[in-house]
Amino acid sequence: MDPLVIKLALGGLALLAAIGLFFGIGLALAAHKFAVEVNPKVEAVKEVLAGAQ
Amino acid sequence: MKKGRAALSLFFLSCAAALLIGGCNNPKFIKKAEFHGTHLIVLTFAGPVDPEWGENSASFSVNEKPDPDILLEVRGVTLSPDRTRLTIELADPINQDQPHQVVARDILSQGKDLGTQSVTVARPYLGYLFSIFLGALLIQNFVFSKYLGLCVFFGTSQKKTTAVGMGITFTFVIVFASLMSWFFYQFILKPYRLDYLQIIVFIGLVSLTVQAVDTILRKINPALFKAFGVYLVLVIANCIVIAVPLILADNEYGVFESLMLALGAGLGFLLALFLMSSVRERLDLADVPVSYRGLPIAFIVAGLFALSFMGFSGMSIF
Repeated sequence: MDPLVIKLALGGLALLAAIGLFFGIGLALAAHKFAVEVNPKVEAVKEVLAGAQ
Repeated sequence: MKKGRAALSLFFLSCAAALLIGGCNNPKFIKKAEFHGTHLIVLTFAGPVDPEWGENSASFSVNEKPDPDILLEVRGVTLSPDRTRLTIELADPINQDQPHQVVARDILSQGKDLGTQSVTVARPYLGYLFSIFLGALLIQNFVFSKYLGLCVFFGTSQKKTTAVGMGITFTFVIVFASLMSWFFYQFILKPYRLDYLQIIVFIGLVSLTVQAVDTILRKINPALFKAFGVYLVLVIANCIVIAVPLILADNEYGVFESLMLALGAGLGFLLALFLMSSVRERLDLADVPVSYRGLPIAFIVAGLFALSFMGFSGMSIF
C-alpha cells in the first residue's frame, strides 16, 4: 500500500483518539462539577421494587 | 475638572491622529461597484472620466476573484451622460455567489492619467447572510421541503408546550454543534486532510453538545430539565442536526454564514413544530375517521404544510 495512505489513516486514528480523550476528560470534569446529589434511599427503594421496565 | 480637560485633549489628539492616518490613504477613484441584473456591473467614479477611455471595452477586464487568469468576456461598455457612471455588460450571466474583480487600466479623467485601479464587486454581505437565514427558515425549511428530522417532528408535536420546548432546545443544540463542527472542519480536519472522517467527527460533536447541555441543565435549571424530559436526548437522533454541519462543510461556509444557517435551521424546526402542534391540538377534538386517527392524519397534515411551503420555493432575496 501507498505509505501516504497509511500515514493518513494512522494520523486520523491518532487525531480522533486525541479529540475523544480531550472531550471525554472535559465531559467527566463537567459531570463532576455539575454533579447532582441523589438521595441514596431512592436507589435503594428502586432496587427493592419489582420492575421489568 | 482637570481630569476632564486631560481626557478632552486626549480625545482631540486621537481625532487628529485618525484624520492624519486616514488622509494618508490613497484615495480611490472608483467609488462604488455593484451588480445590476444578471449581466451588468455598474461602476461609479469620483469624477467624470473621458469618453474615449470609458467607452472602450479594452480598458476593462473582469474576472471571478478566485480565478484571476480566467477573464470574462466583456460585450460592451456604456457611459452615463454625466460621465461618472459606467455600465459594463458581460457576455455570460454573472455568478453572483462569487465576488468579481474589475480592473480598469490607465483611467483617463479630464486628460489626466490616474493609473490602473482594481475594485471588487460582491453582493452586500449582510443581505447575503440574511438570505441564508431566511432560506433555511422558510424557503428550504428542513422539515417541510427537505423532509429531514421527521421522527422527532412527529414524536414531539402533540402538545404545544412540548413542541416549543423541543424547538428551543433544538435551536440551542444545533447552533453550538454547528459552530463547533465548523471550527473542527476548518482548523483540524481540513489541514490534516481528514475530511473523509467528517461524519464520524460531526456525530461525536453533536452527541458531545447534547451530553454537555444535559449535564449542565440538570444542575442549573432542574425545572427546565424536567420539562425537556426525554426530548433532549432525542435531539441526537435528529437528522437536521447532522445535516447542517455537512452542508457547512460542503459549501465551505465562514463562521457567520454557519451561524445564520444553524439559527435558520433551528428556528425553522421550531416554527414547523409550533405549526404542527397547533393543528394537532385541534385534531384531537375533530371527528376524524377511525383508521386515520393519530399518526396517519398527522402525516396528511404535514403533507399539506409541505404543499403550502412550496409557495416559497424558487424565491430569492437580494
